[in-house]
This record gives sequence, structure tokens and C-alpha cells, in this order.
Amino acid sequence: MTATAPPAGATAPTAGTAPAPPGTWWLGLLGRSLLVDRRALTAATALAVLVVATVAVSLAVGTAAVPLTRTLPAVVGAGEPRDVLLVQQLRLPRVAAGLAVGAALGVAGVLLQTLARNRLATPDTVGLNDGAAAFAVASVVAVPMSLAPSASALVGSATAAALAVGLAGGAGRRGYRFLVVGLGVGAALGAVTQLVLARAPIDEANRAFPWTIGSLNSRAPTAVAVLAVGLAVALPVAVVLGRQLRLLRLADAVVLGLGQRVGRIRLGVIATAVVAAGLSVATAGPLGLVALLAPEIARKAAGPRVVPVVGAALASALVVLLADLVGRTVAAPVELPAGIVTAVLGGPYLLWLLLTTRTRRMP
Amino acid sequence: MDRVLLRGLLPALAALVLAVLASLALGAGEVGPGRALAVLAGGGDDDARFAVLQLRVPRTMVAVAVGVALGVAGAVLQAAARNPLAEPGLLGVSAGASFAVVLVIAAGANAATLGPWVAVAGAGAGCLLAVGAARLRGTGEDPVRLVLAGAALSGLLGAATSVVLLLDQRTADEVRFWTVGSVAGRDLATLAQVASVLAGGLLLAGLAARPLSALTLGDTVAQGLGHRPARTRVVAMAAVALLVGGAVAASGPIAFVGLVVPFLARALGGPDLRRVLAVSVVLGPVVVLAADVASRLVVRPYEMPLGVVTALIGAPVLVAVVRSGRMPAL
Amino acid sequence: MSTLEATRPARAVDPADLATERLDLGYDGTLVVRALDLQLPPGEVTAIVGPNGCGKSTLLGALARVHGPQGGAVLLDGRDLAGLRPRDAARRIGLLPQQAEAPDGLTVRDLVRYGRHPHQGLLRQWSPEDAAAVHRALAAADLLDLADRPLDTLSGGQQQRAWIAMVVAQETAVVLLDEPTSALDLGHQLEVLDLVHDLAAQGRTVVLVLHDLSTACRHADHLVALRDGRVVAEGTPAGVVTAELVRDLYGVEATVLRDPVAGTPVVCPARRAGRRQEPRPHADPGRR
Repeated sequence: MTATAPPAGATAPTAGTAPAPPGTWWLGLLGRSLLVDRRALTAATALAVLVVATVAVSLAVGTAAVPLTRTLPAVVGAGEPRDVLLVQQLRLPRVAAGLAVGAALGVAGVLLQTLARNRLATPDTVGLNDGAAAFAVASVVAVPMSLAPSASALVGSATAAALAVGLAGGAGRRGYRFLVVGLGVGAALGAVTQLVLARAPIDEANRAFPWTIGSLNSRAPTAVAVLAVGLAVALPVAVVLGRQLRLLRLADAVVLGLGQRVGRIRLGVIATAVVAAGLSVATAGPLGLVALLAPEIARKAAGPRVVPVVGAALASALVVLLADLVGRTVAAPVELPAGIVTAVLGGPYLLWLLLTTRTRRMP
Repeated sequence: MDRVLLRGLLPALAALVLAVLASLALGAGEVGPGRALAVLAGGGDDDARFAVLQLRVPRTMVAVAVGVALGVAGAVLQAAARNPLAEPGLLGVSAGASFAVVLVIAAGANAATLGPWVAVAGAGAGCLLAVGAARLRGTGEDPVRLVLAGAALSGLLGAATSVVLLLDQRTADEVRFWTVGSVAGRDLATLAQVASVLAGGLLLAGLAARPLSALTLGDTVAQGLGHRPARTRVVAMAAVALLVGGAVAASGPIAFVGLVVPFLARALGGPDLRRVLAVSVVLGPVVVLAADVASRLVVRPYEMPLGVVTALIGAPVLVAVVRSGRMPAL
Repeated sequence: MSTLEATRPARAVDPADLATERLDLGYDGTLVVRALDLQLPPGEVTAIVGPNGCGKSTLLGALARVHGPQGGAVLLDGRDLAGLRPRDAARRIGLLPQQAEAPDGLTVRDLVRYGRHPHQGLLRQWSPEDAAAVHRALAAADLLDLADRPLDTLSGGQQQRAWIAMVVAQETAVVLLDEPTSALDLGHQLEVLDLVHDLAAQGRTVVLVLHDLSTACRHADHLVALRDGRVVAEGTPAGVVTAELVRDLYGVEATVLRDPVAGTPVVCPARRAGRRQEPRPHADPGRR
């Protein structure tokens, strides 16, 4: 039990204070303490600034442009009536929906990727979006109630998650199996959507169509409200799970050895992802590849030390808003749905990802 | 003749006969099995004669041709990729074919006179892209990467197709046919157009069978046995492009057939590639016909897209393949 | 806590009494370990040896609560381990499994910080004790100079030391290491095994699964030889390792010599004994 002196140059911690590890800020009071990762905080701040800028541009740009100087007053109802109508009545709800949908998809994506230890695992690839869309479409065709799409989309994404996890025999240990099984579940549920649409009378099928193609154009106010409530629960839960998520990137045995209840964490993670993905699909339909793209951006910005839950939510909101902006403007007067824009932009990125990196490595 | 092969082929042939009869006898419309069988026996009323001879016979023949093409293409692709999940639909080969057609029509070509070669070229490009993305080197080291690359490619091409359709209403009406798989309403002229392409594809697949079966042992062993893996793969890919391109030209993209058929063929005739190919030739039509018959009956009096039925059959098979745990062992 | 105390790289721990009582372990209905009674001497290095599939790693996993027992119990200080809260157990028992993999770009210090997890909470994310423990662990593993290097830029031996440092930072009385030297060359093996000795010298109970019998003899105070999930021999290496034991365990005829420096047994295999086929309950061909 001899104490060897620390090597020269290395400073030992001193008593009383808790010297924060490099790259972090330590906030301590009365035995309570928080550790904030500086790079993650900077990244989130930068993303938040970009989101705000994009919101401003989204409110100003459209078939009839409103100068940025008049946009802000119009949001609160001041200025010319025409501006107020355009900005407050038409564009603001759409932008708010884009923010919520984006944030939910980003959270779902980063949670599933960490859970499966594979960045290709997202609500689209493992079938959650297809499940939500199938059930939402079925509910519109069968039970035309305003709350029904959100509720049944939730059931749909939960069903898809249960099928994918159950058939794959777990989500974490066999990442690749989970992915391919999820792909199959998604294909089957996609076929169910087609089946339901084929059976439905034409006007009901038209009403259900928005859920098969991701777009902010035809969102229902109730769905947005339900999503906002869901997000108010899911986002804090995901943030609290953040510390466990960091550990979840290691092997199961290590996490168990560190005293974590892995099964319970997994259940919490997947339940949160199901809520986020299901409610966002109920609002805007499946927006392809957003949940793959956005967490990747957030991770690049926030560094390897953290699992950037908030960063992914912000990055994802940014991607959705930009995609919607591009879809509204690039081919005007024809409007491209945001889901198509994200798929066209995200597809090459996904291919590049497959081309250049090892899929087995965890995010 | 090979006894194992016979044991696999006989049930497949019996199923084929049943499937053809069902396809001729059952339909979404008024003409039921009784009236249809009367036609087949040489009699029958005029309505039934029209439904069976003018609608169901051509439809059945197209389904048989498409089934042969997709079944064989799946078996060849799986062997070349050494990956039991490789499937023309999953890998984006079919999506490539239909996107090429959509692009050409959007550029102003006449859909009615368009031959199968555009689809073949698109299928070839889809093959190259998916395979390139997966860096397919025949080592079978990462079967999942190939599938995900294909899913990404399919998604991308599907989205790109949607963009073209949204921007160009005229095209949208003409190409709906190419983007949703179906054998309904196809006539014998369609079949005649693609027959030579499919025959060429089958010929190439036959030529590639022997060297391909050596590839299942790995490139190094195949080289040691005097084969040239790279050349074999080129031939195999050409065969897949011809078969899938021809099939898409005849029926639009139909997913999962190329996965289900070799899976069943292996279950019936064992893992040897030449047997799998032989059994697939018979089972391909069985699967497509069965799916087509189901598509007519499930939502009567409407019909469902064929691709929807094959996806419902195929997804459980996909799960079964992954769960069998023998993924890279092909 | 004084500055002096915080800088000491080693701190004595309360020794822990770890034992198994009629322990049954297995997967999917087949038992890999049967009715095992084992007492692990506190403050010593115990090595578990045996042929492939004998249940070594399964046993180690059970000692760390990774696998629950099918029957019997693991006892920590006389209490059933299964009855403890996972966090409390993780403050007493640390585990390093085989083939641990870390996210790209993580630094040594980031990894070692993970070891403090059982001592932290949502509103207690970093304390002076955490800082001191991480520092001590880095010092013990001789990694202070490399602390802020990304893990993937280090050598295999350094990486393995970093993983062990993570377990050390956990400050547990029991440290379980599953084949900590398996992928390392001779020099790196010694780096790691020296660290293992230091841990035991601080009063920790160290349990290693080792592949190589001679390495086990050289570095363990106590040897447990398993075959088919049962203890074949147990005791000091010099006391239990004989030609008969090697034949029994591996089906190999061997000469057992003495290490000229340490005096511990050295196994020199000669040939396979007879044509006896070893049962391999875990053979799992074709799977990946």
C-alpha cells in the first residue's frame, strides 16, 4: 500500500473543490452538482441560433414575401393586416408544426441510434414511421375523429417497435438483426397502408393520403397540439436519460457492471422514441431520413463525449424547416412536400455513410 | 436425373399447375370458377370467354414470365453477393429501372412505344449503385450494409420519382403504370416486347450458374478452382439487369419476389446453386401468380397492387432469413 | 479530505468476502456451471482457468450480476448479491468484460470517468471524490500523461490499461477481469498484470479469467481450475498445477517445470492425450 508520487507535470486535484474534467463546466451547490459539457453547450447554442434564423426566414418567405423588418411585428399582430394574415395566420402555425415535428424526429432518431448502437437505426429504417402511418391512415378511413390519428399513430409506432424488437430478440445486442427485421416490419406495415388505401372509398383515401407522404402542408391543429404535449414529456425524459445514454454506447456487460439496469433504460429509451416518432408522423407524415441526418449533425458538433439529445432536436428542427422552405420555394408554384426534399437530400448522405464507414461502429 | 432436384421440382411443378388454374379461374369480377372452367373445357358464355381468354390468359402469361425473371434474378443476385438478403427490389435495382423509365418519359418519350431497354439500363445502373455502395467484394462480410444501401437507394429513387411526378402532371398519368407493380391489364404485346430481353437474361444466368456456385465457397477458393470471380460477377450482374429490367418493363416493380423464391427453393432443393436456380424457375411464377390471385380476391370488387401483396408475403420471409442466424453462410 | 490523501494513487479498501453457494448457471435450459461452491480469498489475485466453454466467463459474469443464477447464489459479505440494488453492488464489485469497445473519439479520461457512475446521480454529477478517484485511477494505471488522448490513438496495452483504470475508478473491493491480456503481446501483458498486482496490494479481491495456464501460475495467488462447469482443482498454483491436472483439463500430455525466477509452475505441452474428444457445450458453429 505504498503511495507513489504522481508523475511530474500532472496536477493532482486539491481538496474541497471538484476540479471539473477538461472541457466541462462544474456547477455545484450544497452537495448537488451538475457537469455541463462545454462543446455540447456551444453546439446546441449555435444550432439554436440557426433555428431562430431559419424560423425568421420561413416566416418572411413564401408566395408573397414579407420583408424581415415587418415579419417580427406581424408575428405579434402588429403592422399591415395583410402581413399579419400571411405571417401570423398562415405561416406561423406551419413553422411551429415544423419545429415540433423536427424536434420529435431528432429525439427519436438519436434515441434509437444509441439504443441499437448503430447510426442507421432510425424511426424510418426500423419501421416506426411506417407503423404510425399505417395506423393513422387506418384510423382516418375507419374512425374519422380529430384525435384518432394521433392516438392510433402512437399505437402504430409502438406496434412496430414491439415487432422489431421482439422478432429481432432485443435491440442492442444484435444491432444488425434489429435493423433488417425493422426493415421487414416497415415493409409489411407500408403494405398495410396501401391495402387500407386500396379498400377505402376514394375521398377517404384522399383524406388519408397526407400521412403517406411527409409534408407540413396538411397538418391538423389537434395533431400539432398533441405533439406539443408529447414533446413536453418526451424531451425532458430524453434529457434525463442522457447520462445513461452515454453509457449505453458501451457493451451491455460494462453497463451492468457500472450498476445500471440496462433493460429498464432500454425500455425507457424505446418508449420515448415511440412517442416522439408516432406523434410526429401523426402530424406531418413520415419525413424521410431526417432522424438519420439530424443526430449525425448534432454528434459532429457536440463531440464524442455526450449523446446530444437537445442538439439532435434542434438540428432536426433545422433540417425540417429548411426542407419545407426549399420545398415551398424551389419549384413554386408547385410545392414539393418536405418529406420528399429530405429524402432526396438525405439519400445521398445515407449512401455516402454506408460507403465510407463501418456500420458496426456505434454512433 | 438428380434425385434431390426431382424432390424439389415435383412439388414446385404441382404448385405451378394449381397456381395457373387458380389464376385462370378466379377473379375480382363476376366470372366465377365454374364459368371459367367451362371456358377452359371449350364451352362457356361470351362474358366468361372474354374474361378468361382476353384478360386472364395474357395476365397469367405475363405473371409467369415476370415470376421466372424475378425468381432467377434473386437467386443469381444472392449468389453473386453471397448474401441471402440480396433481392432486386430491396437493393434498389427495380427502383432504378422504374426511375429510368419515369425520367425518359418526363423528357418527352412516348410511353406506348418505349421498349424494355430503358428499364434494363436503369436496372443495370441500380445494380452498380447498390453494389458499389456496399463495396460488394464477394466476401459476404456485411450482408446488412448491402440491404441498407439498397433501401437507401430505393428511398432516394422513389423520392426523385415523386419529384418528377409532382412537377409534371402529364408524366404522372402515363407513368403510374411503371411505379406500381401489377400484372393486371397487360397484354401479349407487352410480353412479346420483353421476351427477348428475358430470354437473354436467362441464358446469361444459365451460363453463370456453374462459376457462381464455385463463388459460394469464397473468391480465393474459386480462383484456386480456376474460375475468374470478377468476370463471373459481371456476367451475373448483366443477367440480373436484363431480367429485372425486362420484368419491370412488363409489370412495374414488384418487391420481395427475388427474396421469397430462392428462400423457398433452398428449403425445397437444398443449398446447391444450380438446384436453387432450377427450382426458382418454377417457384417464381408460383409466387407471383399466388400473389396476383390474392390481389384480386382480398378487396373484391377492387384489385390491390401486386407489390403490396408480395411485400406482405416477403416481409415475414425477410425476418425469417435474419432470424435463421445463418446470414453470411450462403 | 486533505490534499495529501487525494493525491495518493492507492487507497486501502474494505476487503470484500465474495463466495458462491451451490451456484447453477446456464443459458436456454442447458446448465454451464453446476452447483458451484467457491470462496474467493480477499486481497488476493484469483485466476480462473480451464478449457474453452468450461464456464469461466459465465462464472465471472455471474459474480458481476451480468447473468442471474439458475439456482444457488453469489454471496457478497454473506448477503445474496441478487438482493442488492444494482448501484450498491456496483460500488463493491467492478467488472471488465472481454472485447469492450468505446465510441470513437472518446478520451482516456472520459472513459475513466464512466467508472464513477455508480457513485453519481442526476443531481450529483461530479464531486471532489470523483475528481480524486479518477486521478488516482489514472495514476495507478500510469496513464496521467495520456489522459486526454483519444482512446483509439493508443496501443492495445494502453487501451486495456485505460479500461482497467475505468474499473479502478469505480473503487470497488472486488475487481473482475475477463481475459484482460488475451489480445496483447508479451510486454503489454506484463503492463496489465503489474497493474493487477497493484490492485491486489491495495486490498482488493481480484478475479481474472485467463487463457494461458503458465501466465495464470505466474501471476495469481490462487487458482481455480474449471471443467464442464465444475471445479477440478483449487489452491495455490504451485500446489495444484501438475501434469495430471493439465491432462484432465485440456487433454494434453505436458511436463510441468518450475519458473527459474519466480518458482511458479510452467506448463510445457507435449502432445494430445489419446484421442479423447472434449465435450464443448458452447460450440456454436456458423453463427456470427
